[in-house]
Amino acid sequence: MSSEATHLVKRSPISAPGVVAVTGLHTFVADGLVRRLLQRPAGLRVIGLDCRRPMRFPDDARFSRVDLTQPTADGALAEILAAERVEVVVHAAFRTDPTPDLELDHELETIGSLHVMNACAAAKVKRLVVASSTELYGPWPDNPNFLSESHPLRGHPRAHSVRDRVEMETLLADWAARHPDVEVTVLRPCWIFGPRHWSRVTRYFSLPMLAVPLGFDPLMQLVHEDDVLRAFERAVLQPHPGVFNVVGSGVLPLSTLLRLAGKRSWRLPGPMLHRLAYFPSQGQTGDPPEAFYDYLRYLWVADGRRGWDAFGEPTYTTREAWISFVSSRRMRRYR
Amino acid sequence: MSDESDDVDISAQDPVASAAGGESAQDAELAAVREALDGLRREIQLRFGAEHEDAPGERRLPASALFAELRRRLSTLGMSERSGEVDEFGMDEVVVRRARPVLDFLYERYWRVDLEGAEHLPEKGPALLVANRSGLLPYDGLMLTHAIERLRPAAERARFFVADWLMTLPFAQPYLARLGGVRACRENAERLLAADRLVVVFPEGVKGAAKAFRDRYRLQRFGRGGVIRVALETGVPLVPIGIVGAEEAHPVLFKWTPPGRALPFVPVTPTFPLLGPLGVLPLPSKWVIRIGEPVELSQLGPDAARDELLLSRLTEDLRAEIQALVDSALRERESVWS
Repeated sequence: MSSEATHLVKRSPISAPGVVAVTGLHTFVADGLVRRLLQRPAGLRVIGLDCRRPMRFPDDARFSRVDLTQPTADGALAEILAAERVEVVVHAAFRTDPTPDLELDHELETIGSLHVMNACAAAKVKRLVVASSTELYGPWPDNPNFLSESHPLRGHPRAHSVRDRVEMETLLADWAARHPDVEVTVLRPCWIFGPRHWSRVTRYFSLPMLAVPLGFDPLMQLVHEDDVLRAFERAVLQPHPGVFNVVGSGVLPLSTLLRLAGKRSWRLPGPMLHRLAYFPSQGQTGDPPEAFYDYLRYLWVADGRRGWDAFGEPTYTTREAWISFVSSRRMRRYR
Repeated sequence: MSDESDDVDISAQDPVASAAGGESAQDAELAAVREALDGLRREIQLRFGAEHEDAPGERRLPASALFAELRRRLSTLGMSERSGEVDEFGMDEVVVRRARPVLDFLYERYWRVDLEGAEHLPEKGPALLVANRSGLLPYDGLMLTHAIERLRPAAERARFFVADWLMTLPFAQPYLARLGGVRACRENAERLLAADRLVVVFPEGVKGAAKAFRDRYRLQRFGRGGVIRVALETGVPLVPIGIVGAEEAHPVLFKWTPPGRALPFVPVTPTFPLLGPLGVLPLPSKWVIRIGEPVELSQLGPDAARDELLLSRLTEDLRAEIQALVDSALRERESVWS
């Protein structure tokens, strides 16, 4: 397969690429995308990049070891990309779960992304697809009901992972302006829900009893994992330069989500909630609790129309994505 | 023979038939009662103990049922009573339907709202309804939306804009959103107008809501001219509306700026914070909603939105128009309460 694919490589505007490199194989997006790309009939070569080989990495794909937190990662990565004649790079090496190691997260998410950008420029990659998140808009009381792609990324001042990725996007915008020959696609999915995806957020919503802020009931927007993977696949295969929100259609209040799952919840006043959750939160993510609970307090719904035009209508609405998640976790108790 | 046999047959059948008929009638009655009882039981189970749907024979102690219900209510604080279907701006039809009697009461009995100039209201959206803002809680927005809904029951419910600080106020925020309140900002206005809706805006913003009682019915500066800008860019008509009576519902004597930054200020009214939560209740003043003639700006074209001087002149014109509506309504008013 690989020997067939090499002659497809052309240094011209590409429609369907021959070689795709994916970073961050331990994340859901990268892993699912590699599997999806391998299922395609066309001779497509996939190169997985991570600091260690995942336990179940498909044999059809090649694995190369790159540690993005190392200072020399850009040179090493550029060598691999040039040697394999990679045309499309998918950069998904971001924490789905922020760790208490703030320094390492920063090295990986901001500086690591910078390495990937520089390596792409050095290896003359045609297209760079970056996995971002609508979390970067941040939960702000003065958000409009639908955040468009051009809305400034304000992030959350206390969430270090969000802060790092906002910085990453700023660097990326600068870099893209300096390298107009590289097509840069940024996909911003909202919270991903589905049967297979695990993250800090899905773990929180799998708890038998949830603590949520009292007096707030924001509209939530979810996206199903299949829709996310499909959007990434299309972004890899077709040219879609620009920034896109990848979100499910429709919104639901948080209270409705909890009711659909038959969940009990403690509604606690903000200060009490933050004091109770302080140590667990510090231990798990290294951030104070408001870094997470503000996302359950204020609105941060993104406008998905641009993404839907580019990658097709989502197959799952917010409600369906939630039901899919809830029923796969066997926690549905309708009342 | 045949006659006789028939007779016999009939005589033999008659009592049986009548007995059977009686029995079946009783049966039917019994079945109906049983069905009604079953329905009731199901209803009770549905409301009190959903966990026991599978075991209908099982009885629960009323105390435990009460406890379960209490726990259910506490866990969601009454928010579980919603339909769960909201539109994209968070309005819930079920909440609106439940609130309608209350709104009707406020509209007809409490504030006895008089709607004047109803013929000026556009048949359908998109249009920007521009009104003067008064009172701290958005009663004027609710009443104006309700008046439009009574006038055009078939049309889609108009949306009213709510200032930022109210949209982040705990407890108020979810309910305002379910009732059709939308955070006042340009993006929301454009999206709602693109969906051909009527949008109620209060360009005075917080300045209008928080003005002291001595400044009542004196319209404040219209923000930074955003309403006119949106109207020019989208080409929708502007409908000036004057609301009289809302100022007296919540007369703000003075603003008290407490230490800390939880609230921008605390309004001191004759009843608040003197009476505590009761002080939030508005006074039963007499309201007049006067709708003025629509203003078409579409002939100026979207390019006019870049002309700042024109913008400020148009904004001032609109403000004067609403001020005139308010003043005329005030002149005709006999007293605050009747």
